[in-house]
Amino acid sequence: MSAAEAAAAPARRALPGAPLAGVAGLLVVWEALARLPGAEVLLAGPMAVALWLGENGALMARALAVTGAEAAAGFALGNLAAVALALCAVAWPRAERLIAALALLVFCLPLVATGPILRVLYGPGPGPQVTLAALAVYYTTFVPLLVGLRAAPAAWFDVVASYGRGRWAEILHVRLFAAAPYLVAGLQIAAPAAFLGAMVGEFTGAERGMGVLTIRALRALDVEATWALATVAALVSIAVYAAIGAAGRRLLREPPPVLLAPPGAGGGARPGAALGQAALAGGVALALWWGAMEAFGLNAFFAKRPGDVWAFLVTDPGAAAHRAELFGALADTLALAVPGYLAGLAAGAALAVALTLAPGAAAVAMPVAVALRAVPIVTTAPLVVLLMGRGAAGTIALVAVMIFFPVFVAALHGLARAPGQVLDVFESYAAGPLRRLVHAQLPAMLPAFFAAARMSLPAAILAVTVVEWLATGRGVGALMAISASLSDYAMLWSAVVVVALATVAGHALVAAAEARVLARYAGEQRR
Amino acid sequence: MPAEPGPPGISCAGLAKRFPAAGGGLEVVAPFTREFAAGATTALVGPSGCGKSTLLRMIAGLETPSAGSVAIGDETPAEVRARAGLAVSFQDPSLLPWRTVRGNVALALTLARRRAAAGTIDRLLALVGLEGFAGTRPGALSGGMRQRAAIARCLVTEPELLLLDEPFGAVDELTRRQLAHDLPRLWEARGTTTLFVTHSVTEAVLIADRVLVLSPRPARVVADIPVTLDRPRPEGVELTVAFAELAERVSAALARGAAEGGQTGLAAQ
Ligand SMILES: Nc1ncnc2c1ncn2[C@@H]1O[C@H](COP(=O)(O)OP(=O)(O)O)[C@@H](O)[C@H]1O
Ligand SMILES: [Mg+2]
Repeated sequence: MSAAEAAAAPARRALPGAPLAGVAGLLVVWEALARLPGAEVLLAGPMAVALWLGENGALMARALAVTGAEAAAGFALGNLAAVALALCAVAWPRAERLIAALALLVFCLPLVATGPILRVLYGPGPGPQVTLAALAVYYTTFVPLLVGLRAAPAAWFDVVASYGRGRWAEILHVRLFAAAPYLVAGLQIAAPAAFLGAMVGEFTGAERGMGVLTIRALRALDVEATWALATVAALVSIAVYAAIGAAGRRLLREPPPVLLAPPGAGGGARPGAALGQAALAGGVALALWWGAMEAFGLNAFFAKRPGDVWAFLVTDPGAAAHRAELFGALADTLALAVPGYLAGLAAGAALAVALTLAPGAAAVAMPVAVALRAVPIVTTAPLVVLLMGRGAAGTIALVAVMIFFPVFVAALHGLARAPGQVLDVFESYAAGPLRRLVHAQLPAMLPAFFAAARMSLPAAILAVTVVEWLATGRGVGALMAISASLSDYAMLWSAVVVVALATVAGHALVAAAEARVLARYAGEQRR
Repeated sequence: MPAEPGPPGISCAGLAKRFPAAGGGLEVVAPFTREFAAGATTALVGPSGCGKSTLLRMIAGLETPSAGSVAIGDETPAEVRARAGLAVSFQDPSLLPWRTVRGNVALALTLARRRAAAGTIDRLLALVGLEGFAGTRPGALSGGMRQRAAIARCLVTEPELLLLDEPFGAVDELTRRQLAHDLPRLWEARGTTTLFVTHSVTEAVLIADRVLVLSPRPARVVADIPVTLDRPRPEGVELTVAFAELAERVSAALARGAAEGGQTGLAAQ
């Protein structure tokens, strides 16, 4: 069974049996759950999924080809953009903060609302899907790549300088290679994200592809088709994730690090300077937005400018009503996103810590978690709706699962990364595992944990809005769906702006918490 | 490589370095005024942390002096670097881990925008005792082997000016002797102007035409000793009376510098 092998591939080579055992266990549990009495209305087990795929193989293959092509195009474009942005940031260090801020802002755009806008901008065709896929991947490549491009020791640059060569030779001969492992880590995470972006793009009104089939299956309450689609999306993502990892290991000697340190996060900037930076980034973003609309001469009916959004939310006679509607919906969405996000963070960190205290368990859990992290969780949103109904619990659970995997994997990596010498010192004093955890491993874990926490904020919003869009009919997701169907583009654009700003604010909150915590518990860890 | 007007000499005028630090800064190199003749080999000897590397880096133009200037021939260090006229072997060999030994040596050619005749790299690797390791990555080499690869990287561009910072620091005794015998022949044949940092007195006398003894931080010239031994050094020169006397003079200067320099060092803080 090649899918199982593919899932097993990202595992460390030390324990070849562990990932296989994990996957086998997962399959058995899944089948057993599906066979519980009454489960058949919600759950299709691996057998049923395999049967459905056998019968509908041609349909699935066509849909997979469509979605896969969109995801691949988005993957390529998004990663190219990430590489270009990161290179610009390194080539012109003065622009780095601005580039990072703009990149973050775009990353925080709510895909669910961006989809319909892109739909009207592009017209029919794969444009929106490809764009959403690109939007979903570029930031998670940009951040580690930027770290990698800057991670080289100064002595290597002395060699370049001693032959009279400058920044570009540094980039060409040193930085690009030093950053390669970081790029591989970013590309790996990008593979499932591209698939996710393409499917979300299809949710918002495509003609063909797995997203379309998913919506159709959900409407028809076709349990087997829904599970089959989610399974295929997961397996393809895991396979690509594993293939990129394997290719990376062949090309690079060292295994790629998964730690995603922030670009200059909390870099000791004074509050005033940070505000100035934010204002500059905001101004540039507005100028780019307005400039793009004007440059392409886009119709003002659906291509709103910054002034239109301002009028809609502030100066119009109906502005108060617009605000009430939008912020009310946002409150509904946040009421689900925040608890789910926090639960996911807590569960991810707690399980990672628990596994570290139980040596051996981490070796089994890690490969499974790495594989499951590659599952584009949002594609399983319809399943969650099937399983848990349309109430708050289901949505919160989906968000928590969505946040759980990246945080869990990052935390495990962080815990395993406590410097060897430090652990040796603890060893020599015969310190117990708990003391070792508190004094050596937790401080090593925190930077990775926070990096994952920051990066997964937009995912939390995405999860909630997708469920709202597809199922529950409340919150910003539903508001955006309704606005899209009513061609209320002013509301749609306003929702994009407000949700993006809220996400950026959340990001800033997490970064502030990170700076405080790291300053206290992991002083030397900060870069 | 076109060295039409012959290799340049170096002239340092009032070269000084102070690193910013609490309490007025850390004076590392006291004003340093010296000429280095074209084609000569000079050893800089001094205790650890006295400022030798900083001085060498200033001469290469990799560190900005707080005062004074460096002229190489009638050019600035930056101009010489821009035409790849100099090469530095850094105290930390700083090889790129993803390149093989051969790739690291070839990097110098790439950076210098030059080509070498076929077999040049192999000959240099043999000279530094790394034949058979051309395809090895630095991670699999010992510290001494890495330093020797870095020396080969310096030599491959045939620079007019060679700046070597403790090039044999991690090299084992036997190999070090071999290198101290072989390398000067190569750079003398080319007429390279060479400055090298060491804290080994024997090495300095064995290799150099002239030994500059530096005081503890801030570095100040305690003695400037010409080495009047035959060139190339005959076999067994270390056992001669002349050699012993020179080594003794260098050692005495080092000790004198330590006695005086310690005070100025404290006074400077
Ligand atoms: N970039 C720097 N910033 C501050 N101090 C430095 C820097 N580089 C070197 N120093 C200090 O200058 C002194 C001399 O350093 P160095 O030139 O490397 O000595 P040496 O090579 O003789 O051992 C040391 O005390 C070192 O700590
Ligand atoms: Mg030194």
